[in-house]
Amino acid sequence: MSHHVTSADIAINGDHLDKSKISRVKTLSFIVAACGTIVSLLALFGVFGEFFQGTYAYSWVFAYYFFLTLSIGGVFWTLLHNVSNSGWGTSVRRTFENLGSTFPWIFLFGIPLLFPQVNQYLFEWMNIHREAGSGSVKEHLHHSDHLLYNKHWFMNIPFWLGRFAFYGIGLSAVIYFLRKLSTTQDTDPNPGVQRLFRARFHSTYTLIVFALTITFTGFDFLMGQDYKWFSTMWGVYLFAGSALNSMAVIVLVTAWLKSKGHLKHVTGPEHFHIMGKLMFAFTTFWAYIAFSQYFLIWYANITEETSYFLIRNTGNWNIGMICLVFLHFVVPFVVLLQAWLKKNPKYLSIVAIYTLCMHALDHYLITIPERGISLGRMNHKVFGDIVPAIPGAFWGDILAFVTLGAAFIFILLRALGQHSLYPNRDPRILESANLSN
Amino acid sequence: MSTTRKRVYGYLAEFKSASALYKAAEKVRDAGFSKWDCYTPYPVHGLDAAMGLKRSILPWFVFFGGITGTATAFTLAYVTQVVIYPTVVQAKPTNIFTIPAFFPVMFELTILFSGFTVLFGLLGLIQLPRLNHPLFASKQFHRATDDGFFIAIEARDEKFSPQGTRDLLANIGGENIELVEEEQN
Repeated sequence: MSHHVTSADIAINGDHLDKSKISRVKTLSFIVAACGTIVSLLALFGVFGEFFQGTYAYSWVFAYYFFLTLSIGGVFWTLLHNVSNSGWGTSVRRTFENLGSTFPWIFLFGIPLLFPQVNQYLFEWMNIHREAGSGSVKEHLHHSDHLLYNKHWFMNIPFWLGRFAFYGIGLSAVIYFLRKLSTTQDTDPNPGVQRLFRARFHSTYTLIVFALTITFTGFDFLMGQDYKWFSTMWGVYLFAGSALNSMAVIVLVTAWLKSKGHLKHVTGPEHFHIMGKLMFAFTTFWAYIAFSQYFLIWYANITEETSYFLIRNTGNWNIGMICLVFLHFVVPFVVLLQAWLKKNPKYLSIVAIYTLCMHALDHYLITIPERGISLGRMNHKVFGDIVPAIPGAFWGDILAFVTLGAAFIFILLRALGQHSLYPNRDPRILESANLSN
Repeated sequence: MSTTRKRVYGYLAEFKSASALYKAAEKVRDAGFSKWDCYTPYPVHGLDAAMGLKRSILPWFVFFGGITGTATAFTLAYVTQVVIYPTVVQAKPTNIFTIPAFFPVMFELTILFSGFTVLFGLLGLIQLPRLNHPLFASKQFHRATDDGFFIAIEARDEKFSPQGTRDLLANIGGENIELVEEEQN
């Protein structure tokens, strides 16, 4: 610590991002996102033929869910900061909120999943439900697929649509009001502590909304791709990756803002140390959960459960899965053990970028191996026989990832430019600025 | 009649508050002393930096302790489950690919060995347990567990001098400065 930070060091009217300096990146990412979205929508609704329509549906879910985990994680860190009554993170809390505030917009990219033209390729159970036509769905399932008959109370299209609306509205409302509560303080002449208590109170029950969202979006969008498969650890597994990688994004954003001369006096090596420690903790937590899920399925050896790993632990997918073990866990675990590295924004940013790459691999292996099997089984005239990977479909994955990525960058930059970069009138800002750990 | 010769341990000085102690510690550090210590009723944040303490070597002990635990567990499980007495359960292989079954043991022994290394490494580094400490001879020192903030500079420090060190402690705000002598038994 260089010196004791006093209120004289805090910008009274906030630390605002110069919008003109980021306008080029913003415009560029907006153009890429807009063009990509138009091409994607045309592809998803079959303008470029059924082959691309089917394969691209999986690309879209992969990219969509990847960026959704980052946004949901931003909401999680905001809620956790408030509910744990923590003082260390006040100076970076606005970054949590800004990352979380991308959720409503990123969530909208899931709207194509509502349409049968798209979800027929992803969620086979919906097709079996739709075969009932105007007749009774339960009656139809009773004769065609008893497993789906038993799962009908949860897996039925109206409830699925209702849940979709709940995720979007619920978590959007949570982050919208919490961020508003926080940002209105920046200009309040009498900031006081009421907002602190209100934020803490309202972050308790809303954590339930968060938990339901991360768990059941995972169930509905990812696990539902194979309705026979289930894992009770699925929600926790996705949460672990979400918390880890949203913290990686927060580290990147904070380091970037620091390099541009923002967050002066209020964040320093100690904050990066804590954020690095949280990344370390969630690297370990991810490995713990990932292994536990694998271990239980491997030991129990139940047909319905093993299908997930049978697909992913054969052929070339297995290389990716083994890579996950060493590159998603062992390497970052050993690297993040170093305290000096966690205190250095530059080195920690490199680790954060690396972690995000591994997260992309993780989510690629969650969604994409299902594609060749589902589509081959569905229509082998268009998609070819059942194969581990459909040739040429890879380009769609890149397009979807770039589209969502550009949109994510645009929305995040927009959020960063809206308000002060740290809560300059929060009663705990000095406590946070003088952090020592 | 015999004259008792007592060994001098060093100077003990009391400070008014944690912040006074913190500032005094910085000055003692800057004066170049190496054999000295602070005594407070509770941990003071950042005092290690104010005292100029280097990072402890303990994490490295723990790292290698943990690795030893992992290796021990793997060897133990592999030798018993694969080499000596292969146990086939649910047609699971008995070779290196049985490794998921070994993981819980590997994890636990890593934790256990790390924990032991922390405990015994720490006790070794701080030289505990010990039966007595020269500072216990001081009548005021027991207040370090209640409301006293102390700095003790040892006589075996190269920079120690009977008058100079006393003046230094007085200049940086030390009170009740006392020359502590080891008790004779």
